[in-house]
Amino acid sequence: MTRRFTVESWAPEFGAPFDVDVAPDDHKARVDASVEMDPGAWHTIQVQSPPARAVGFVDGVRRIDARLWVEEEDGVRLALCASYAAGAVRCDGAAKVVSARVARSVVGPASLGPIVCSVGTFDAIPAATDALPDLVNHVQIALQELEASVTQSLGPVPLLVVDGSLTGRENVPNVVGYLKSHQVVYLEGAPGQVVAQLAPGERTPVFLVETTWSRYSWYLRLPGGRGHPWSGIVRCEASASCSPGDAIVLADLAAATIPAFASEEYKDPRAPQNLYPVAGLERELKRRLGDPGLVYRGLLLASQVSARISPTGA
Amino acid sequence: MVVIVSVQSAGPERVGFVLGTEDATPLDFWVAVQPGSYLQLDDVVALERVLPSGEVVGIFGIVSQVRARHEGARFDSDVFLIRDGVLPAEVVEAANITSTRFEPELFVPPIPGTPVRKADGAEREQALYFDGMERRLPIGLSRDGQPVFANFDFLDGTRGAHVNISGISGVATKTSYACFLLYSLFSSTLMGGAGLNAKALIFNVKSEDLLFLDKPNLRLDAQRRARYESLGLPAGPFPSVELWAPPRRNVPSAVPDVYGRTEGVTAFFWTLADFCGGDLLPFLFADAEDERAQYPIVLHNVMAKLRQGKAGADGAVIIEGETCRTFRELVDLIADRVDDDSTDWGGRAVTSGTRNAFIRRLEGAVRHVGHLIRADIPGATDHAIRFQQQVTVVDIHNLNDRAQRFVVGVILRQVLDTKERQGRPEPLQFVVLDELNKYAPREGSSPIKEILLDIAERGRSLGISLIGAEQTASEVERRIVANSSLRVVGRLDSAEAGREEYGFLPVTTRQRATILKPGTMIVSQPEIPVALVVEFPFPAWATRRDEAGAALGAVPLDPFDGLVEEPSQ
Repeated sequence: MTRRFTVESWAPEFGAPFDVDVAPDDHKARVDASVEMDPGAWHTIQVQSPPARAVGFVDGVRRIDARLWVEEEDGVRLALCASYAAGAVRCDGAAKVVSARVARSVVGPASLGPIVCSVGTFDAIPAATDALPDLVNHVQIALQELEASVTQSLGPVPLLVVDGSLTGRENVPNVVGYLKSHQVVYLEGAPGQVVAQLAPGERTPVFLVETTWSRYSWYLRLPGGRGHPWSGIVRCEASASCSPGDAIVLADLAAATIPAFASEEYKDPRAPQNLYPVAGLERELKRRLGDPGLVYRGLLLASQVSARISPTGA
Repeated sequence: MVVIVSVQSAGPERVGFVLGTEDATPLDFWVAVQPGSYLQLDDVVALERVLPSGEVVGIFGIVSQVRARHEGARFDSDVFLIRDGVLPAEVVEAANITSTRFEPELFVPPIPGTPVRKADGAEREQALYFDGMERRLPIGLSRDGQPVFANFDFLDGTRGAHVNISGISGVATKTSYACFLLYSLFSSTLMGGAGLNAKALIFNVKSEDLLFLDKPNLRLDAQRRARYESLGLPAGPFPSVELWAPPRRNVPSAVPDVYGRTEGVTAFFWTLADFCGGDLLPFLFADAEDERAQYPIVLHNVMAKLRQGKAGADGAVIIEGETCRTFRELVDLIADRVDDDSTDWGGRAVTSGTRNAFIRRLEGAVRHVGHLIRADIPGATDHAIRFQQQVTVVDIHNLNDRAQRFVVGVILRQVLDTKERQGRPEPLQFVVLDELNKYAPREGSSPIKEILLDIAERGRSLGISLIGAEQTASEVERRIVANSSLRVVGRLDSAEAGREEYGFLPVTTRQRATILKPGTMIVSQPEIPVALVVEFPFPAWATRRDEAGAALGAVPLDPFDGLVEEPSQ
């Protein structure tokens, strides 16, 4: 039986930290810049190979629908209702959303159980603590699982671009992680200066990053960036489980393919890094999350039902 | 009461669902068309709504607009990205439905998400009210080749009468549609026994188009013939037609003034005795100009004098001992008498200015109607229009404006008088008249307009149905258009389409009226709340000489036969 709960009347987004993409230990990353060439010989690479015939893009979106106060014997505890969705776009001449899945979860005390409301069921994800970042992290993990499942439904593609770090998805064939923002400086000295010298469409040589896990990485400049030396720069990741040669082939393929999908400033505030297929997919996924007001209304109704059928905290 | 509407399973004929992002109202709603299906303008659809009581309301409608758009695109230029396979987007089509019928009449909106199907067969008839028409007249085919009907009760005077057709000259095919309606009327058995005696009078105002109604059309191929079959009509010419044309001018014999067709056309004219005894004089003064003038008093005096004339041989008239054989002689006699102060022809207390104005006006008519009013040809009774066949075509296209008004006015009077004498509506008399804006203009008054108004308002009980046509309904007397049960619109120019006279058409239909092809008309009828777009079949009768081909008599040996130098008009 669902515990009695009330819905926090403050806006659900209030106070929720939401960018947990960068693992904190990246600051202590060990970098091997000699994968493709000697660090002293680093130079920008103009890729000649043809672009991939088909590209897959995978992305996910999430939204906190409400914060709940769950009444337990020893007081009230915090729970989080979140809707999230993951989808995949396949671009092979025509861009098509081939898969999109929506899930809703309530993260909170194990005693709460799933919440059934008018818009659907929020599956229970038990959380040990009340700390908001912890709860958000649980949502993030659930989203990553959902993204992994849509990735499988995409089928084989010569190049698969996943938004964000490669964490947890290293084993997918031809996968490239796509990072739009740069919080950590991986390259120092001469290699670091090569990044600033990149012309649109050019990439740096591949290097290996080792933190708690390893992956190959390289920088790529997209067309359309202007202003500072790092404008239009994105960082890509490839799985460390492949050979250095395979990683270089993948890096060439990505550099030859991705710039065609870069967005224009007047269409996207995150241009050029936010790729068109990903932006389109995000809009579609957000639409599928449903109207936030409607979900909130459903939760309020469910909370009133829980108040009628549950014993008051006893 | 629970009415069971034939609920069909959502089979292959389902085309989509009522959508909920636009308001669904009982009058108008949108349907999202499912992938693999399509809806086009004028398609008829059906759906149901189940009320909380369990009662099923059948909702029927007609597609008034269809749109397609990219979902997922925000900028117009996103289409380039979508075409290049960069931005994912979906194409979605939606159709706007105008409701035509609710069965039972519970005006509830359809629920978004309700499946919608194309209405076919009995359902289509229900949606368009054809099921309730006991006597239905085929009036054309819908875009998908299915027959469209009108209720004959609204044409024969039972519940209404008259047809009004508007459209641009040349492309709107008004006359062709009027002929098709007549053909459909005469081919059907709707009129029963009285139908055999029903008559039609057609004025031919433009080239010799209508002088071949009785000849099969050589260009009617199997495909065009099949369209008549879908309407349940035979494909052929009008079986019973008489053709009348004015005599050639300045020719001593009554040779009809036509060139495309030489046999089967009879020249018509009135004798001077008819003119004087039948009070035809006012029809020579049927212009807007005459209305403003002062001379009607003179006109009425003269008319009374003429009535006292005696008939002479071959239609001549003997007035106060003088015999007149030509219109010229008659006009001279009238001018003499009116000008002569010693007679009372001009009327007392009428100034000489007014008398002179009358004489000048009458003199002006001689040149134009001299060949139509005469007594110089023996056997004049053979040249009086007799209405013996089912269809009577009177050619007036070669006549000057004043002569046209005279002919139309006199013949309409004759028709009206005949029907009034009969005192019963059967047999029906149809009258096809183009250029109504000339004969019954919105402003002013004239003897012809009075007759037309009389027909429009009393025609239902007299058994006269007017099939009137004009380029612009805005210029025609309102009461004539308002009395028409069937309103038909062909191609309109966009300024005209915006006028209030076409308010019976929804905005999208009015827009369509500006792009209609020849052969397509929009028909509005009293029982159906929406105007239907119909295509009528290619004429089964010849409309030109070359369409009649070998069926026509030989060309005269000397094409200039009977031609003499004409005075310029």
